[in-house]
Amino acid sequence: MSFLKIILRNLRQGPATDPYPFGETFTPDGLRGKIKYNAQACVACRMCEHVCAGGAIRITEAEDKSGLNFTLWHNTCAFCGLCQHYCPTKAIRLTTDFHTAHRQADKYNYVETGFINYVVCRRCGQPMVPVVKELLSRVYGDLEGPTKAFVNLCESCRRQISTESGVNKRWTEESKR
Amino acid sequence: MYKSILQKIVQKSPWLYRINAGSCNGCDVELLTTACIPRYDLERLGCKYCGSPKHADIVLITGPLTARIKEKVLRVYDEIPNPKVVVAIGICPISGGVFRDSYAIEGPLDQYIPVDVNVPGCPPRPQAIIDGVLEAVEIWKQRV
Repeated sequence: MSFLKIILRNLRQGPATDPYPFGETFTPDGLRGKIKYNAQACVACRMCEHVCAGGAIRITEAEDKSGLNFTLWHNTCAFCGLCQHYCPTKAIRLTTDFHTAHRQADKYNYVETGFINYVVCRRCGQPMVPVVKELLSRVYGDLEGPTKAFVNLCESCRRQISTESGVNKRWTEESKR
Repeated sequence: MYKSILQKIVQKSPWLYRINAGSCNGCDVELLTTACIPRYDLERLGCKYCGSPKHADIVLITGPLTARIKEKVLRVYDEIPNPKVVVAIGICPISGGVFRDSYAIEGPLDQYIPVDVNVPGCPPRPQAIIDGVLEAVEIWKQRV
C-alpha cells in the first residue's frame, strides 16, 4: 500500500520539473554568474589579471594616456571567482546572473568593460590612478593630520613625505612589536 | 502541400545531437542533466537526444577541439544533414577557455564550423543551456 503514500505525496507536491524557461527558477545566492566591474573602486593593482585562470581580464592603458581600460571577455571566463577573492577593494564582483547564452554575432561584444580615469598628483603633477581611502588607511591608519593630503598624492610623493615627516613611524613601531 | 505540412511539424521537434570535442565531461554532465532528468526536462521544448548524426537538427558541441579529435569531429559534423544549428556549450569550444594557446588545442571551434549560439560557462548552468537551446530553436525555425 506504500504506493498510495507516494501518489498522495506527489499530488500534494506537484511536478518536480523546474518551471524555467516558462517561469522563475531557483537561483542560489552563491551562484557565480556574469561579472560586474566597478571602476570607481578599482586601484588597478592588476591582481585579477594575474590570477585569472582563463586569461579573460585585460587592463591596458588608453591610447591617449588618459586612463586605464578594463576588459573582461565572458567567453573565456571560467566563472571561478578568483578575481573577486583576490580583489582588495571588491571592485570586481560575480553576480548571480546566469543568462549567458548569446548568438554568434555578439561573441566578441560579450564583455564587461570599465574605464579608470587618471587623476593628477597635487604635488608633482604626474597622472595616477585615483587612491581608495580604505586601502590607504590600511597603511597609514586614520587619515588624520599630515596623512590627510595623501589621498591626492601619487605613490612616490606619499613615500617621500611619509619618510621625511616620519608619519608611518608609529606604524613601523607597531609592526615590530 | 506535403512539404509545407512537414515543415510545420519539424519546427516543433528539433532533435539534439551531442559531439564531445575533447571535453573534460563537465559540460557533458550538464547536458545530460538538462535533457535526461525530469527536473530540467528539455523535452518540453520538443527536443530529444538522438544517437545518430543523420537524425540530428541541433548540434551541441562541448570541448576545446583537441588536435587528436579534430578530424573526427569534422567528419561527424559533415554527416549531419542540412539545415543544422550549432550550439557551442562551455567556454572551451568558444575560445579555448583555460586551455587556450595550448599545443594540443586546434580550436576555437568557429574557425572550422559555423557556430550559431554560444553558451559560456565552466560548465554553464542547466538553465543557461536551456536558454541556448531556446535560442537555437528560434534559429532552427527560420532555417527549415
